[in-house]
Amino acid sequence: MNRVALALVLVAAPSLAAAQASRATAGGIEAPRSHPLSGAELDARTSDIGALLRCPVCQGLSVADSPSSMARNMKAEVREKLAAGYDQEQILASFERSYGEFVRLDPPMRGVNWLVWLAPLAGLAAGGAAVAWALKRSSRNAGAAEATGPASAASDLPSRDTLPADPRLAAAVRRSRELAYGWPGGIPPKPRSSAS
Amino acid sequence: MIPALGRTLILLALLAASGGALVGFATGARPTAVGWLWARRLAYAFAALMALANLVMEYALLTHDFSVSYVAHVGSRSVPTWVSMVSLWSSLEGSILFWGLVMGVYVAVATWQNRDKHPEYMPYAVGVWLLCGAFFSFLLAGPAQPFSTVPSPPLDGPGPNALLQNHYLMVIHPPFLYSGYVGMTIPFGLACAALLVGRLGHDFIRPLRNFLLLPWIFLTVAIVLGGWWAYEVLGWGGYWAWDPVENASFLPWLTATAALHSALLVERKGVLKGWTVTLVIGTWLLTILGTFMTRSGVFNSVHSFTQSAIGPTILVFLAAALILSVVLLTLRVDSLAPEGTLETGPSRDAVFLVQNLLFVLFTFTVLLGTVFPLVVEAARGVQMSVGRPYFDKMSVPIGVALLFVMGVGPALPWGRATSQQVRSALLPPLLTAAAFAVLGFLLDVRNAWTMLALFFGGFTAHVTVSEFLLPVRQRMRSHGEGFLEAFGQAQRRGQRRFGAYVVHAGALLAIVAIGVSSTMGTSKEIQLRAGESTALGAYTLTFVTAERVSEPHRESIRARMDVSKNGRPLGSLYPRMNQYESQREPIGTPAVRTSLTEDLYLSIHNIDPDSGTVGLLVLVNPMVGWIWIATAIMALGGLVALVPSWRGARVAVTETAPVAGASPEGSH
Amino acid sequence: MATAPIPGAAPARTSRMNPWVLAGGLAVVVPLLAVLVLNLGRDPRSVRSPLIGRAAPAFSLAPVGGGAPISLESLRGRPAIINFWATWCVPCFEEHAALTAAARTFREVHFLGIVYEDEEATTQAFLAQRGSSYSSLLDPEGRTAIAYGVFGVPETFFIDGAGRIVEKYVGPLDRGTIAALIARAKGGAP
Repeated sequence: MNRVALALVLVAAPSLAAAQASRATAGGIEAPRSHPLSGAELDARTSDIGALLRCPVCQGLSVADSPSSMARNMKAEVREKLAAGYDQEQILASFERSYGEFVRLDPPMRGVNWLVWLAPLAGLAAGGAAVAWALKRSSRNAGAAEATGPASAASDLPSRDTLPADPRLAAAVRRSRELAYGWPGGIPPKPRSSAS
Repeated sequence: MIPALGRTLILLALLAASGGALVGFATGARPTAVGWLWARRLAYAFAALMALANLVMEYALLTHDFSVSYVAHVGSRSVPTWVSMVSLWSSLEGSILFWGLVMGVYVAVATWQNRDKHPEYMPYAVGVWLLCGAFFSFLLAGPAQPFSTVPSPPLDGPGPNALLQNHYLMVIHPPFLYSGYVGMTIPFGLACAALLVGRLGHDFIRPLRNFLLLPWIFLTVAIVLGGWWAYEVLGWGGYWAWDPVENASFLPWLTATAALHSALLVERKGVLKGWTVTLVIGTWLLTILGTFMTRSGVFNSVHSFTQSAIGPTILVFLAAALILSVVLLTLRVDSLAPEGTLETGPSRDAVFLVQNLLFVLFTFTVLLGTVFPLVVEAARGVQMSVGRPYFDKMSVPIGVALLFVMGVGPALPWGRATSQQVRSALLPPLLTAAAFAVLGFLLDVRNAWTMLALFFGGFTAHVTVSEFLLPVRQRMRSHGEGFLEAFGQAQRRGQRRFGAYVVHAGALLAIVAIGVSSTMGTSKEIQLRAGESTALGAYTLTFVTAERVSEPHRESIRARMDVSKNGRPLGSLYPRMNQYESQREPIGTPAVRTSLTEDLYLSIHNIDPDSGTVGLLVLVNPMVGWIWIATAIMALGGLVALVPSWRGARVAVTETAPVAGASPEGSH
Repeated sequence: MATAPIPGAAPARTSRMNPWVLAGGLAVVVPLLAVLVLNLGRDPRSVRSPLIGRAAPAFSLAPVGGGAPISLESLRGRPAIINFWATWCVPCFEEHAALTAAARTFREVHFLGIVYEDEEATTQAFLAQRGSSYSSLLDPEGRTAIAYGVFGVPETFFIDGAGRIVEKYVGPLDRGTIAALIARAKGGAP
């Protein structure tokens, strides 16, 4: 956590020339890193950041959506901090100090969390490769399949598990099979333990 | 008496299911007419016994028989009768009992419909179904026993969860959800039967597809009903929060939709048999995972039932099912050899594969996000959340891509298409797409993804409508029929195809409506005193008064808000705060005014009738009503596609002539 | 097994294994089951506090009934117990007696209550009726509760002499637990 803050500070160093970036009292108060907001922009950013924070007393709702008083207090604190000039990461980090990583609805990029962002992309790549391979394999089999002849049920003759389309003919075929084989529907299933 | 009767019925159901499963598998391995007869009889017996057990429980609930443990848990004399009836599925054990009922009905119907067909497969299928039935009976007989005897029955009970008494939607959401969820067991059994037999005959894909489509329709409606319930009842103004239990219902829907499409390729070309079977098995496994997620208490969810012994039991079943499925697929999937080939160039076949990929990717992403907090807990020991922002970010591109594919696919012909055909198929819809985008821009759409959704929505709408009317135009040309007659004839001959395009139309409407409503809404939070007004968009709201309302099971305070739009008065809305005896926190009921263009949504944060103040959340959500309409269209389309197959109409599959726009009559 | 070719019959069943399906299947199934099994029995709603072992967040709040604000700084040097509670919280009633007694017994420990989402008048009435041996502070906008990562009440923080949080206890306390945790706060991790 401190490493991330330090990295951000180093990156934003020029704009912080005037501010004191020192950790002061036991509360660990840092200086705001962005400019103070107001008006409609303040409202919009409060909502945005509120949507990234999890309401601790609700079930999965964000602070922006939750009507509970805890959520409203948190939203007021977000608003105050934005008006004082803190940026998004600082605000999220301050809540994280109190509640833990649990309070962030968008998984921050650290440790094994990268997996949740990368895995879907990897899945897309792998899936795309699989689709390409399936299409290629199918075209290779096209040649082989033509040689062995049509196996699909394009003909109208009744095969083992089909009946003709005409219902009366179908009933007649079924009845004759029943008389011949004694099986409901007339077709006995392929015996498992038969010789060739 | 009743508890003992209920327990006996469940035990008998367990016996019937176990016996039936054994007979089914034995008959599948060594077929005899007697074996098949008894497998069927035991299947019907299981169904009847489950139905009876449910009736007994309903009776106990309605007569407030508190000697039955489940009734003592959720029954109450002070709730309305409909709440007592609905309590059957409101809580853990009762919902498993209801699961058994739905499963019994499905198994009975599926067995009866196929009692003299597909004799090679059916005993295996019945065996698998009854094995699942046996597990749920075992749950009911053991860890989730709803019929335990309460030694000294109380005089009254606590009533079901207050949230469930808040809205009538609770009456229809669980039955629809279970009809969808549990129904996936049937195609699962059929798929396993195909693997066990070692082939997937052309005629067998039909019952597989039908019994996939029927639960799919229920599940589609159920998922959206859940969203509607969250919207109308929970009061935060949205309809989908990617809560684990919402995801649990969504995951099998995604794979089932993919399976329905790849089943089409199996039927038409005899390819992708193994893949379809894998998807169907995956769908069922996701339903079991889903039920574990909602019942185990392992996931942090709004819906979670409390922890109990049921969680580990389901986990054992899930583990066994996962392992057995992998083994079965490993050993047998290669025997489902393809009978044809896929077209490799630009064609509908290739787009089907892309679409399947997108659905599976979506499933993978949602599953990963839902399970990820558990992964991190196990790996880093840290508790973290994966919430709405993540899922929204991931699902928007996939949803938009699906919208696009839904347009490109039907536009392309089945066989290999020349580049000339591709161009003539894809260019005209692009004009409609551009028109939609321009329209959106004029209506102040500025969000890039929403614009893209509108663009692709226009594209897909053009393709869907033109494909829908293609057989009609052909008939008018070749048979000289008028529009209505041609429509009727074409629809009767190609009802599945018509149904499919109706579903596509509904789906595209839903995606566009979701995109617009998520990005174009406005909101405002305000405190008002009696008589004060506020405005949002074109609406003006005046807080008139706060009044107390007493009902037998709850005390409410409701605010009367007078609404006018552009100066024209529209009546009053009454958002409420309800206090139930058993809850500390009051539960709000928002007031929603739906019109074709937008919803006006009012939700109370705090209200005080004595001082006459109210704290309100006001939202204007555009196009939300269209989401519900779109779902009804999808369900209707599904029914249209399903009905001819149930009636047993056999329409010859016209052979695949690889020319764009060739005879589309016949089954799709 | 196959005899005369029947139209539509499939070729003889081959019993080979598909290694890709096996590998893919296991790659999905094994991690999934592992994750689910490992998490069984864990309550997802109980979140561990990240503040344990860290400095307690500063505050300066007015006591119930008025008076000069009390700050965290003023407690330094001696172990302290900060108990978040409310009058509408039933378990808080249960622990109130234990805490009041403990405050009288362990005089070397600062005891402080912080009221969570409640009204001053109600709190005053409660304390007047039930009696109390230590101050309760008002936290009007819930900022201190947020700073301490409070999920609900009752939650109690045990702080050592250097101002570091030694333990966060969720739920109603009893005398035994209070004594044990005070011992830890005194023993105090550096």
